[in-house]
Amino acid sequence: MSAREFGEAWALSQLSPGIHLVALAGLIGRRAAGWRGVIAAVAGMMIPAAAITVALTAGYEVIAASSLARAALAGVAPVTGGMTIATAALLVRASVRHGRAHAAADVAVCLGSLLASVFLGVPTLGAIGAGAAIGALALGRKPPTSRESSVG
Amino acid sequence: MDALALFGVFLKASALSLGGLSSLPLLRADLVAPGIATDDQVVQAIAIGRISTGPNGLYIVSLGYLVGGIAGATMALAAASIPPLVIVPITAAGRRWMLTTPVAGLVRGVALATAGLLAATGIGIVTATGAPSWWQLALAAMAVVLTYRGTVHPALVIAIGAAAGMALGR
Repeated sequence: MSAREFGEAWALSQLSPGIHLVALAGLIGRRAAGWRGVIAAVAGMMIPAAAITVALTAGYEVIAASSLARAALAGVAPVTGGMTIATAALLVRASVRHGRAHAAADVAVCLGSLLASVFLGVPTLGAIGAGAAIGALALGRKPPTSRESSVG
Repeated sequence: MDALALFGVFLKASALSLGGLSSLPLLRADLVAPGIATDDQVVQAIAIGRISTGPNGLYIVSLGYLVGGIAGATMALAAASIPPLVIVPITAAGRRWMLTTPVAGLVRGVALATAGLLAATGIGIVTATGAPSWWQLALAAMAVVLTYRGTVHPALVIAIGAAAGMALGR
């Protein structure tokens, strides 16, 4: 696989639903060995990591009821909330276009979704659908910035 | 909730999100609001997902395990693995179409709307207990800065939160 092919696979994987790294693994796997390559690449990426995740979760469940673990959770909860907010900021950074007018329109869609969810109780699916419709009609005119994010 | 219904919830969240943690607003709406999962379980799953190997999006495997045991984790793993792969046949059929202006706009619109929902979800997690104390707000602010800058490993950020919780949360 050349560097150019890898770059194109990465760009296409960013358009996929769900976990982008799975899409990237699938595209690389297909290039290497067809559909069997897709299955091998995705299984190789996901199954060991999922097994480790389950083992960590099961291990945590053993101590979850202890007073020390409950106290720790009082500190871990705001940290995970903060990480989620930062992930949102990274997603905005990766998506917003160059140019003041384009950037303002992009940020407005994000803020509109945030405010509609918090203050108007707009359902999650409704906000995503509205974002998709507004995006397809009005937000496609310029290529995205080349800054990459670590949103997975 | 039976395993097949859980698979449906995870598949919907995975198919309608862009990127690992983006499925969180949909999962929180479908699992926490009806009482199938708690916010504590969501927090545990995100923390374990960040500490564990593999993509961040694997937090849903942890959440699947907490809600439905091994069967729940298996359903979550399958639901996380299938939707991203639609890109493989689509790319084979029409790579040029994928790079058109409306498709780019649609993906950007979904990403930006999802970012707003993710921010709302993050605020919801920080304020889940009602009134967070000063040290919890300070921890949240620290986590925002360190995660955005990406210079500190997430496991260390979570360890700082756990240590602060053990020292101040009792």
